[in-house]
Amino acid sequence: RERVRAMFYHAYEHYLESAFPYDELRPLTCDGQDTWGSFSLTLIDALDTLLILGNISEFQRVVHVLQEGVDFDIDVNASVFETNIRVVGGLLSAHLLSRKAGVEVEAGWPCSGPLLRMAEEAARKLLPAFQTPTGMPYGTVNLLHGVNPGETPVTCTAGIGTFIVEFATLSHLTGDPVFEDVARKALKALWKNRSDIGLVGNHIDVITAKWVAQDAGIGAGVDSYFEYLVKGAILLQDRELMAMFLEYNKAIKNYTKFDDWYLWVQMYKGTVSMPVFQSLEAYWPGLQSLIGDVDNAMRTFLNYYTVWKQFGGLPEFYNIPQGYTVDKREGYPLRPELIESAMYLYRATRDPTLLELGRDAVESIEKISKVDCGFATIKDLRDHRLDNRMESFFLAETVKYLYLLFDPDNFIHNDGSAFDVVMTPYGECVLDAGGYVFNTEAHPIDPAALHCCRRRKEEQWEVEDLMREFYSLKKNKKFTLKRASDYGEGESENDIKDASSDKAGEKRNSKNSHSLLSCPSQSFNSKLAVLGQVFLDNA
Amino acid sequence: SCSRAKDVTMPAKLPVNFFSTRSPVIDLFRGQLDYAEQLRQDSEIVLYFFYAPWCGQSIAARDEIEHVASRLSDQVLFVAINCWWNQGKCRKQKHFFYFPVIHVYHRSFGPIEYKGPMSAVYIEKFVRRVMTPLLYISSRSKLLDFLSNYEPGVIGYFEFNASPQPPGYLTFFTSALHSLKKDYLGTTRFGVITDKCVAKEISLVHSGSVYLHRHANTSLIYPNGSMNFTAENICKWALENREMLIRWLRPHGGKSLLLNNELKKGPALLIFVPYNPLAEIHPLLDEITKVALEYHNCNKSQAAEPKLQHLRDSDSPAFDSSIPDAQTELLETFSISKYPCCNTVVLPQWHSISGTHNVCELCINQTLGVKPNKVHVPHCNFLEIEAALDSFYLLERTFFQVISNTIECSNLLSFYSPFNYYTACCRTVNRHFLSFISSEKTIFQTPKVAFSSHGKKGNTQHSIPHIEDRNWFIPDHISGTNITGLSCRTNKTLNLYLLDSNLFWIYAERLGASRSNHLKEFAAIVDLKEEVHYVLDQNRTLVASSLENFIKNFSILYSPLKRHLVDNPSVHSPEQHVITEVTTHTFRHTVLLSDK
Repeated sequence: RERVRAMFYHAYEHYLESAFPYDELRPLTCDGQDTWGSFSLTLIDALDTLLILGNISEFQRVVHVLQEGVDFDIDVNASVFETNIRVVGGLLSAHLLSRKAGVEVEAGWPCSGPLLRMAEEAARKLLPAFQTPTGMPYGTVNLLHGVNPGETPVTCTAGIGTFIVEFATLSHLTGDPVFEDVARKALKALWKNRSDIGLVGNHIDVITAKWVAQDAGIGAGVDSYFEYLVKGAILLQDRELMAMFLEYNKAIKNYTKFDDWYLWVQMYKGTVSMPVFQSLEAYWPGLQSLIGDVDNAMRTFLNYYTVWKQFGGLPEFYNIPQGYTVDKREGYPLRPELIESAMYLYRATRDPTLLELGRDAVESIEKISKVDCGFATIKDLRDHRLDNRMESFFLAETVKYLYLLFDPDNFIHNDGSAFDVVMTPYGECVLDAGGYVFNTEAHPIDPAALHCCRRRKEEQWEVEDLMREFYSLKKNKKFTLKRASDYGEGESENDIKDASSDKAGEKRNSKNSHSLLSCPSQSFNSKLAVLGQVFLDNA
Repeated sequence: SCSRAKDVTMPAKLPVNFFSTRSPVIDLFRGQLDYAEQLRQDSEIVLYFFYAPWCGQSIAARDEIEHVASRLSDQVLFVAINCWWNQGKCRKQKHFFYFPVIHVYHRSFGPIEYKGPMSAVYIEKFVRRVMTPLLYISSRSKLLDFLSNYEPGVIGYFEFNASPQPPGYLTFFTSALHSLKKDYLGTTRFGVITDKCVAKEISLVHSGSVYLHRHANTSLIYPNGSMNFTAENICKWALENREMLIRWLRPHGGKSLLLNNELKKGPALLIFVPYNPLAEIHPLLDEITKVALEYHNCNKSQAAEPKLQHLRDSDSPAFDSSIPDAQTELLETFSISKYPCCNTVVLPQWHSISGTHNVCELCINQTLGVKPNKVHVPHCNFLEIEAALDSFYLLERTFFQVISNTIECSNLLSFYSPFNYYTACCRTVNRHFLSFISSEKTIFQTPKVAFSSHGKKGNTQHSIPHIEDRNWFIPDHISGTNITGLSCRTNKTLNLYLLDSNLFWIYAERLGASRSNHLKEFAAIVDLKEEVHYVLDQNRTLVASSLENFIKNFSILYSPLKRHLVDNPSVHSPEQHVITEVTTHTFRHTVLLSDK
């Protein structure tokens, strides 16, 4: 854990020294560059990692720097997707965590505040991209002028379906429903355009709704779409989103899953088009653990782990039958996905194998990619040649998940046993009760805050008094029954990191909702499914 | 997300020493595989440690290798080779999917890959096995030692009077090395006998014959005629035909179906003991072996007995004096006669005032001659007796009429097994006569019978109270006799497994081993199909008798074992919460007994 902390500061301090206010550090040349815009991206991205490492004073300092220094009224073409997950997501989580970090908050917090206004401002710059016939956004937008004329209408699936977590949060906190509405509309458009066998491709024309790239899989171009269906469902306790995901999950299992690997298939025919594993796909086991499918998650994770052992990292593409990297895709930009999955799974299983991966990752990253000015992307995993880049997700995600893997008592792992009560002008709010939902850039969102601010806007929350549910769950080795019996607060006790206790099934109107949003109990043999042991046929 | 090509790149750092320069391990950190091959010519035994400098597993294994090297460096050459650096020969020639990889060579034989736990003691044990793949069995006592082990043993007999080596010896030697390739934990042991007399003990007469020892089934002799005498064939034959009464489970840490496959075979008794592969003696393992042999001792032969006896004696210094005994035991192993198992039943009398009783001697599988034997205590098992009694009671009406002073016998068929029959010999005796019979039987070494009160009496068709003769002396090994051959008699047969708690304690914890258990000894029965598991009382020490009771309790029809529920050990103070976390232990109190 301390080595991870040292890693963070080595990279962070060199960024501040050599690269700030550029977006990213260039670790080989010790200078900075703008990559996704021009808003000191690494600093925004690393902000909440500071708090997770417990560095309150630096968090406070950075909040002030950002409030003064960052301006979104700039003539820059920015990726809608990246700006949303890194900038909007980063600012939102910083806003929600600022009280915990000892920042003085204004009276309306958490439903108002400077960081929230910044996030809202950034998000508004993205809204023009959604003005298409289908409701699916363009991939790129100019922050000053809106969508450039002649901009390509082809957007990747993830670039369309990765907004609901940030945008719904914005809508709930600010009371302006426009954000959630456009995000939902885009999600529904994708759902409508899925193929007959229930799959989506990875690029679509947002004007005509024609699939341009028809490879269906769980990785690049699609990944966070599925992730946000699940996380959106958890965050908003939304059955519809979960139902969509479960449908996709079925099709994915049917057509793309072979031997616990997930391949790429043609979205209409279901024939295998690329037998590769992509580094980005490694988030999948973590996602499976969120829906309670821990044993499948573990089996797939162990497959991915063998690839790590072979190279000391995950190549962007790995050819499964050949057992080797794919030409021109042998890099490893220190991506977080496998470590992210390890963290989720460790919450669920406490399997020491997952810590072993953490140790391997620390050793690999230190031995291979550490240079004088930070940590460099591995350009080629075959010979460990380095590239002059350190992506902002290294500090936002890779280091954060690594640290959380080794810090089981971190406040972010709160399972609902502690909470804060905050007086707002609109009444009492229960906050920080755990169940943080990470966006796809590892920025945690407190679902309780959403509810708190929403309640202000919608007084008709009367059904909540009836909300009293037992949800049975089993922390894999134990049969733990957890009772959620709070009255009225609408506190979603969904500890999403803790796969055993996630997803409070809210019996609001339908009994059906309970089963959709709650996890199945774990099978008997799961208590022995550690240290690489897997069991077949749990059905 | 798309990445833009950047001009500036940096080649990987140059490799540096992985082991310290003072280490007994030769570190070829530039991957000089050719030099490694050269070095191999100089030493009889060589260990290659292929590593990648960035690999966490290699780094973790480094200290272990160092440790082994410091102990064996005078006999074994340790060479570490960086097989990652892409300019190195090793990387160019070899293609590994994981690191580290350990190869051991015995002269020109190899590589033998080590796939066991990356722990110094296990590695050292393996290297030692490669150094001496054959155990030299010089005497009868060594032979008994060898045979008494719970792990399968293969013995070759070769006469060394011819020069330079008897034919086939080298093949046998190679097959022992060969077996280590497949059986990298070295569970099958290979021994060699050179002495004619010792060989006779296991009825090997011809030099060049190979013998596979088995405890429960008959031992085998390598079929020279039908199979070619090659190293591969011998090794394959041994691995295919060996019996595993009790198996070590050693998950390798990677994705594996080991537990899945083993546990799906049926209920399993998992025994966790701390194990040091290098230790000379394992008293606890010997005890467990004893239980396992008893449990599998199905045909009630005494086959297992000499070894058991040997196990019991092996600690005693007086062992050498008992060699003649051991010899006779061993010989008798092959001339097994079945000993009867009898129970005396006193039938209720219609005219109870008459002072006489019909006494029946009920015997199972009676053979003609009962040979008194001072060593063997014929084992009688209580389940069979009980079954016999049941059969007997059903038919007892026929015996009531017998009132004579002659002994009348009749056979009954068992309704449990077509192969068993019971013999009942009855006669009428006066009450005072009873004690005489008892003592007489004692003199004749009549088998001990483990009595137990059984509740089935009331269920028989007559509601007549039975008097059973309880004057028999109490057997000293009630439990010992009861589990003999139990594995074949119950339909809840257990597979027995051992796990090294130094490596796999986490499974024990998952099954509910308490954290305060410092001995790291633990036993649990896991039934995957029924989704239950039972835990041997952790306050009792893990000894043969407690294990036996555990097995017995599992096997009987209405098992008194309680399903074990695992609890979350870290319960937070529940006071200040609105929502209380409920665990297995607190469920009843919090939920069922709550007023709300």
